[in-house]
Amino acid sequence: MEILLQLLFSGIALGMIYAVIAFGYQLTFATSGTLNFGQGEALMLGALVGLSLVSTIHGGPYLNFWLMIPVVMVFGALQGAVVEWIGVRPAIKAKSEFGWIMSTIALAIIFKNVAENIWGKDDLTFPSPVSATPFHVFGANVQLMQVLVVIGAIAMMLAVELFNRKSIYGKAVVATSNDPDAAGLMGINTGMVITFSYALSSATAAFAGVLVAPLTLTGATMGTSLGLKAFAVAIIGGLTSGMGAVVGGLILGISETLTGFYVSTGYKEVPGLVLLLLVLAIKPAGLFGKAAIKKV
Amino acid sequence: MLSISNLHAAYGKVEVLHGISLEVPKGKVVTLIGSNGAGKTTTMRAISGMIKPVSGTVMLGGKDITGLDSHRISRAGLAHSPEGRRVFSTMSVNDNLMLGAFPRLTGSRPKGDVNADLEKAMELFPRLKERRTQLAGTLSGGEQQMLAMARAVMLNPDVILLDEPSMGLAPILVDEVFRIIRNLKERGVTMLLVEQFAAAALNVADHGYVLENGRIAVSGPAEKLRDDPAVKAAYLGG
Repeated sequence: MEILLQLLFSGIALGMIYAVIAFGYQLTFATSGTLNFGQGEALMLGALVGLSLVSTIHGGPYLNFWLMIPVVMVFGALQGAVVEWIGVRPAIKAKSEFGWIMSTIALAIIFKNVAENIWGKDDLTFPSPVSATPFHVFGANVQLMQVLVVIGAIAMMLAVELFNRKSIYGKAVVATSNDPDAAGLMGINTGMVITFSYALSSATAAFAGVLVAPLTLTGATMGTSLGLKAFAVAIIGGLTSGMGAVVGGLILGISETLTGFYVSTGYKEVPGLVLLLLVLAIKPAGLFGKAAIKKV
Repeated sequence: MLSISNLHAAYGKVEVLHGISLEVPKGKVVTLIGSNGAGKTTTMRAISGMIKPVSGTVMLGGKDITGLDSHRISRAGLAHSPEGRRVFSTMSVNDNLMLGAFPRLTGSRPKGDVNADLEKAMELFPRLKERRTQLAGTLSGGEQQMLAMARAVMLNPDVILLDEPSMGLAPILVDEVFRIIRNLKERGVTMLLVEQFAAAALNVADHGYVLENGRIAVSGPAEKLRDDPAVKAAYLGG
């Protein structure tokens, strides 16, 4: 029983990381109909920049963990804006239906290569900002960092939701997702809104990176599989639903830890991806998504 | 106030407008009538920046706004209530109206009293009042049309473009739309109105232009066009 509970807790922490990254995919999809396939690399860069700031690898530490978070998010936002500017905007301008797919993947590979050259190919250890000694909840071991991951992920998503609902700039973002042409007529610079959504999306991923880094190994390759699985989460939950990202993330995270323990770590990713295939076959808009009818 | 000269516009390589010139004086209502495919909506879109004109000039209050992005034209003081209403369906009526005032709320147009204008809009469009918190997508077609017009008014613009405000509405709602246009006119709002109901449009307008195949065929004071035999035969049902 304790083991099951423990697996559930780890699954939830992992799932919330997936959820935050998936949420990032949704942000850019909403405003521009495009996705940043370098979302995992944005996470990786965030984690590594964070590592350089809080550890000794580049002559630091310069900041403590908590002060590092906003710096890393600003870095993530700039990185996301660059992706939009170089990779996405030209494709949107040229009305290229698929150009952004290749260009965001290309940029992701470039970012990974750059990271390998700066931080090396080996995985590094990220110092935990809080005590790594687990405490017990109903007999199961829980690390404080896992709790922080869950709280941080929820706080991030709530903050964005609140911004969208309450501020006039957030409303401009929602309006752009509704109808970009009509948003333009309201005086909203929709190009800027798309850049902003890329910046926010990468800042979110960078934030997820520094949250997850103390729990796992940090290195140039850490983002690829996280990014891909979070993409699966975004599809399972639906590209238009924040709730879907959370539920999808939890399903994938928990099914991974359970399968890893009870079946085999070699198969831990299978159930979630089978679910992805099922969702695509039965409800392509995702569990929580509204049917996407393409307007012509 | 709004002055268009020799405007050419195209979709891809197909030219749709072959040199339109028209004037919308301050405080006046000007209507653009014509059959389907004549280029009425294209004219509106080329004015408000939804499409880029090929050539010609669009002047708003002495300022050249030709070919600017639509958000810049809106900030310059031109509101466009587009064909098909285009309300933000997942947002509340209130939020839609606040977005109409976006340039005022973000410093690119004089702010004035946005909340007072919101209340005024509710008086002018009473149907919206009881639906303020409802999502725009759940409104009826008529209510969505009211919302699209109210949203344009919220900009406090120098000119409003109204594209087919009566399209697809029940006759009683068409009457209400024209009652509101008349009401706006009495408040001194400058408007360019595109309408399929040519007779009603010429009744409310000061001046009219008849568009045929991307060219202005006839123009003149509205009462004169109402009596023009050719216009009567073609657009006013004899």
